[in-house]
Amino acid sequence: MNAQTKTTTIHPVCPRCRSAETDILTRSPVKDVWIVHGCKVCFYAWRNTEPEENINPDKYPEAFRLDPAEVNNFIVVPTIPPLRKSETG
Amino acid sequence: MAAVQGVRDFLEVLERNGQLLRIAEEVSLEPDIGAAGRAISQLGETMPALSFEKIKGYNNARIVTNIHGSWPNHALIMGMPKDSDTRAQFFEFVRRYQQYPGKVERVKDAPWMENVIEKDVNLFDILPLFRLNRGDGGFYIDKSCVISRDPDDFENDNVQNVGLYRLEVKGPNRIGIQPIPEHDIAIHLAHAEERGEDLPIYITLGASPLMEIVASMPILYNQSEYEMLSVLQGEPAKIVRMPSGHDVPWGAEYVLEGRILSRVREAEGPFGEFTGHYSGARSMPVVEIDKVYHRTAPIFEPLYLGQPWTEIDYMMAINTGAPLYVQMKEAFPEIVAVNAMYTHGLVVIISTKRRMGGFARTVGMRCMTTPHGLGYAKIVIMVDETIDPFDLKQVMWALSTKVNPAGDLIVLPHMSILPLDPGAMPEGMTHKLIIDATTPVPPDNRGNYGQPLDSPGGTAEWRQKLSKMLAESVS
Repeated sequence: MNAQTKTTTIHPVCPRCRSAETDILTRSPVKDVWIVHGCKVCFYAWRNTEPEENINPDKYPEAFRLDPAEVNNFIVVPTIPPLRKSETG
Repeated sequence: MAAVQGVRDFLEVLERNGQLLRIAEEVSLEPDIGAAGRAISQLGETMPALSFEKIKGYNNARIVTNIHGSWPNHALIMGMPKDSDTRAQFFEFVRRYQQYPGKVERVKDAPWMENVIEKDVNLFDILPLFRLNRGDGGFYIDKSCVISRDPDDFENDNVQNVGLYRLEVKGPNRIGIQPIPEHDIAIHLAHAEERGEDLPIYITLGASPLMEIVASMPILYNQSEYEMLSVLQGEPAKIVRMPSGHDVPWGAEYVLEGRILSRVREAEGPFGEFTGHYSGARSMPVVEIDKVYHRTAPIFEPLYLGQPWTEIDYMMAINTGAPLYVQMKEAFPEIVAVNAMYTHGLVVIISTKRRMGGFARTVGMRCMTTPHGLGYAKIVIMVDETIDPFDLKQVMWALSTKVNPAGDLIVLPHMSILPLDPGAMPEGMTHKLIIDATTPVPPDNRGNYGQPLDSPGGTAEWRQKLSKMLAESVS
């Protein structure tokens, strides 16, 4: 995407991984002050009133950008232990 | 003096002592709260806590931060005069710690029972959550006490754990949690996951500043945080037994009841950590919150953390050196003091008497074999008993003159380190270093240390006389 990336739709793309699978997590208790969006792929969350670098995919810092494909390859912390074998066998 | 049993009480202590700054102007959650938290730590070591009383988008939210973020605040948390120096705070902390275990006081009702949310929990509505640093992957709860029990040893109060773990709020009732393997809660979670069961937990916010110091303190696995809190505050910790069998601090502002989902991991982070670096994003466990209790007009108490020093460095300073001191002193009574204030003890400075040549570096190895040393103590600096490890001018003198790199740098290869150490390779592994900056004693005969300078006769008298004259000239 380029500088025209749209950020003002109800479900904008994720500024971090550019996935279109985003949701509204909440709206401000005082009506119409802000909206918090969340990405269903990389779980990035942002408030629409934050500085541009946090809400605009084109201005989001390169160092923190993510490829949605990377998400499945993150290191797992802590590792998941094997299930115990049932005592009755 | 009655012990402070919650952050709300402590705000009164801060205000009486001129250590609370109220900010009445309306602030934005981003970037104002993070920016102010960073700024206050840049202004010095004696700064007050900040109370933000009007938050954009909320009707009645209140955020207090920098509660732990200065030496006067730390002294007041300890119930000491606010001008107590760091060394005095360390030895008082150790003195109380050595009275462990204390008694707890069990009570049935708590102020956080005033409001209960049992369905449609929306954490964003009741907590003014915000992004702290620009690269954070979301909105974090970074100061809380997480309570869990070992499903394999459920009734054992000593292994019930109260710990401070970072929490990323990912949805109205969904939270990412970081239980790294060095943490006690990771043991409880592993046992639950081996059984294929969720791990019930309680997350409390605003429990009390000293409770949070204990929760972030590397005590032994089978030591009770509540019994430790009791001795540190000089009176029994007030706790409430939940129907589930977990004990929760009486003084909290919020209590979140939930479960770490068994065998589930999902993207979490990055988060700007106490190492002064972001953690990177990883796949970590998930908590679902089922029920929330909170006081009326609750106070949300986050902390700022970033490149040291910030609030977290004051919180994890004395509480890190004190357990190391007590645990090592059992084996080596020659140890005089331990300063583990740097990045939660990634660097530790130990002053010790020496029994024989090679003694100090052995003590340095003992530091690395404490439970905390498993994940920290990457660099251990050993100094003579005459050096105050809390006075870096003295430590630098010892490094300048007592160290010969030919024999005084002891490198231990491929040791464990917490995954957040940015220098690790691979993550979680590092070489470690002991720097022996003590004066060699026989049979170690290296160096030319036979003629150390001391003070001229009469220095003590002159010091007293000059101090008196200076005080009189000022008044």
